[in-house]
Amino acid sequence: MKKIATISLLTLGVCIAIVSCDSKREPGKIYMPDMAYSRAYETYAERDSSIFTTDNSQKGSSKIYYDAKPVLGTIKKGELFPYTLPNDSNGYKMSATIKNPFDTVSLTEAQLAEAGRLFNINCAICHGDKAQGNGPLSTSGKIGGVANLTLDSYVKMADGTMFHSITYGKNNMGSYASQVDRKQRWMIIKYIRTLQPKSSAETKSMSDSTKKSS
Amino acid sequence: MSISYLTFVREKVFFSTLAQLTDMSRYRIFINKAVLSLLFIVILSSNNHLFAADGEALFKANCANCHKPDADYTGPALKGWSKREPNAEWHYKWIANPAQMIASDPYAKQLFEKWKPTVMTAFANLKKDEIDAIMKYVDDYTPPAAPMAASGGASSGGESDNSMLFGILTLILAVVALILLQVNSNLRKLSDEKEKIFRGEPVPFYRNKTYIMAAVLLLFAIGGYFVINGAIGLGRQEKYQPVQPIYYSHKVHAGTNQISCLYCHGSAQDSKHAGIPSVNVCMNCHMAIKEYKGDPIVREDGSTVNGTEEIQKLYSYAGWNPTTKQYNPDNNGDGVPDGAKPISWVKIHNLPDHVYFNHSQHIKVGKQQCQTCHGNIQEMPEVYQFSTLSMGWCINCHRESKVDFYNKETGEGNKFYSIYEKFHEDIKNHKLDSVTVEKIGGTECQKCHY
Repeated sequence: MKKIATISLLTLGVCIAIVSCDSKREPGKIYMPDMAYSRAYETYAERDSSIFTTDNSQKGSSKIYYDAKPVLGTIKKGELFPYTLPNDSNGYKMSATIKNPFDTVSLTEAQLAEAGRLFNINCAICHGDKAQGNGPLSTSGKIGGVANLTLDSYVKMADGTMFHSITYGKNNMGSYASQVDRKQRWMIIKYIRTLQPKSSAETKSMSDSTKKSS
Repeated sequence: MSISYLTFVREKVFFSTLAQLTDMSRYRIFINKAVLSLLFIVILSSNNHLFAADGEALFKANCANCHKPDADYTGPALKGWSKREPNAEWHYKWIANPAQMIASDPYAKQLFEKWKPTVMTAFANLKKDEIDAIMKYVDDYTPPAAPMAASGGASSGGESDNSMLFGILTLILAVVALILLQVNSNLRKLSDEKEKIFRGEPVPFYRNKTYIMAAVLLLFAIGGYFVINGAIGLGRQEKYQPVQPIYYSHKVHAGTNQISCLYCHGSAQDSKHAGIPSVNVCMNCHMAIKEYKGDPIVREDGSTVNGTEEIQKLYSYAGWNPTTKQYNPDNNGDGVPDGAKPISWVKIHNLPDHVYFNHSQHIKVGKQQCQTCHGNIQEMPEVYQFSTLSMGWCINCHRESKVDFYNKETGEGNKFYSIYEKFHEDIKNHKLDSVTVEKIGGTECQKCHY
């Protein structure tokens, strides 16, 4: 009888121990750590400071130098050349002279659709899916100063100036250089052009249409 | 008698309506005229209203992104503009070309000093009457009455009340059953004594072998259930919900504000990892959004999250000074603003190293929604792991999901699949109506384990 009691108590203890490990704030246990965790460096994994270093001066030592940045002077295959104009008023002025690479080779239908998709993800949240400055964050009054890109001044704005503003940000808008690459930026600008009225005469009818919808 | 009376009445009514009709026709022309003139009056009187609405539409289309009628925004509050401007023609000139006015006009310069570095966009295409309409709308503007506070939360207690009721009922029934059992045994004892039957001392229930056996079996089953579940759960992190350095609510961002998942996790479409956004991406919006004004965010323990405080935490990580609206200068020369440091978010979805998973493959080629695996993220204040991420779960989806198979006749679908000759033939012969991921090798071991 005593034996049964001890056995059942022990089982109960093990059960409670296993079940109580289950806290949602902890990642939990694993069977085989050497199969679960990568020996090689993985994205977002913590780098073992006894093996890796980001310190430039330790480059020749036994540690592996790795700072996750591309090698200086290299660009991704298929990527456009870097945009060199500085982020100041002079650069802003000069940006108007930069030509959109898609002026000469026009976008294919698939590329334009892709540009539209990127616009809807990254831009429409403020500028609205028709670029009229009425995206969810703008109409709810959370972000002020959102440009209505169908206005005359933006119809006349050079592609290069738009590119400059997307790259470095303008007023309340931040830099989108980390979210859309150079090629995508030029593509998005071409897409914005399709949303804009062809001439300033049409801007009037645009405001009429907003009146009807409001 | 009554029937004839009824017919009489009906006839009378019929004749009287006829008489009315002929009477009416005499006045028809007069009525027509009256209606027309009334309509005219209505149109005339509502014209004023139409004009004001026009101003509202123009204001919303052109000005509302930077100006509010009654409060400072990106630009100044517009109400009372006529008292502030130096002369009556000033605002026409300013709206037509603000940049030039800043260079020449002293009041314009003063305005710019207050609101710099933002310069107002020129609206040269707005005509004078349109500007007048806008300005009239601004002056007549009265803030809409605040909507009544939502009466939510009252109905949420219903379900727990029910379970409570069931619990109490079960308890009462159990007590009743116990009492009945006791009564039964007492009655038997009494009847036994009456009939002079001797049954011997009854065995107490804790020494009764049947009871002990049943209890052991029950314990074994329950214990086994938990042990097996715990063992399966080893290495899985379903419901894992770590505490993050900043209380970032996906419900507010992806739900209320409708920001696309790919706005922040853009690399999900280009690479293996969905990517944790850099602080720069946060600052795209939070340069402008300094405080949280939405519905209160409540933690599971009932405490309320101070959203504005969490945004301040972001500013300290970014090295951003919200009062000067600028990043801190980089005096120590490490390439980032002084005091800025990366946010060490805690990764929630972890796959073991022996599994290969690629986000872009599933999102761009497979066209899967984020929610398929991550659950309704847009409704989670704090994100937790929604799926088990177990192998069975993966395989199950690969068995059920159909690929975007190429249709040779219409040219629709993913052209990559044009190479699967056998499936094309089977579809042609109606042996197959769709192709699942499994059919193209989506359950082969080496696809994910290598």
